[in-house]
Amino acid sequence: MSSNRELAMSSYVGIGVGLMVIVGIEVVLTYQHLPTRTLLFSLLTLACLEGFVAVMYLMHVKYEKPILFWTIFPATLFVLVFLCYLWPDAFRMYNMRLLK
Amino acid sequence: MDQSGLAVAAEHGVLMEVSPYGIEKKKLGMWVFIVSDACTFGAFLFAYGYMRVGAPVWGTPFGFSSILNGMVMTAVLLSSSLTMLAAVRAAQAGTKASTNKWLGITMLLGTIFAALHLREWFKLIGEGWRLFYNPTGGAAQFGATFFSVTGLHLTHVVSGVIALAFVARGFYQGRYDESHVETAGLYWHFVDLVWMFVFPLMYLMNAH
Repeated sequence: MSSNRELAMSSYVGIGVGLMVIVGIEVVLTYQHLPTRTLLFSLLTLACLEGFVAVMYLMHVKYEKPILFWTIFPATLFVLVFLCYLWPDAFRMYNMRLLK
Repeated sequence: MDQSGLAVAAEHGVLMEVSPYGIEKKKLGMWVFIVSDACTFGAFLFAYGYMRVGAPVWGTPFGFSSILNGMVMTAVLLSSSLTMLAAVRAAQAGTKASTNKWLGITMLLGTIFAALHLREWFKLIGEGWRLFYNPTGGAAQFGATFFSVTGLHLTHVVSGVIALAFVARGFYQGRYDESHVETAGLYWHFVDLVWMFVFPLMYLMNAH
């Protein structure tokens, strides 16, 4: 069970509004004609921030025992980071192109 | 204590070791599912990135109307997360009518999200996009990655709406308690969390 330190409902509404503001920033950035890599990095950073807030507050991890966070988070991150082994091959194909 | 006595004691939790996580086993089970599902979505999104980098010409079919539609979908899903939180609070307070009201609103918002999603799909299909066909002549993989990633997410939303309907019915009949509502809520928030990555990567990165 979650502890009794949970936020009031109005605070959750504030978090929801904050997340929507971040989505708005993402849309604004999309139409700034940024280089693809810069846009991707910006969008991923903002998405990770949103995800962290959602996990900690909406999914109540902040109010559970820390062992839950330390069991779930590193293991998931480990798998997702190791998927990055794919990128060198994708960039190999990119670099083999005549037209970039 | 004989064997039958042990079984009875175990059934009543006397010999059960306390969970180090301090949460119910159904909630821990949901967390394990969420971790595995996060890895599945991660693999799908990585596959999309791999194909996108490797393809010589990538389709960017989304105009501002589609992005606006995506923003509305995001707002709807975020609102449904808040109504789900209200349902969990109501269930913890033991008010059946209020719990079912908030679960009903959550299901309605989930259905609206699915409808908006399908509208976007039919728009793309109407423009000629298919799983393995790009009407603009670019990489055919756009359709494959877009429809599979968003289709997987849509399946989660529809499954969530159905699961919430079962939980609402069970809670109203007294078969389920607040922990069932809380566990269903955990799943629903995860669906919302996945969309926070799908929207920027599948929609915004493909806007023209």
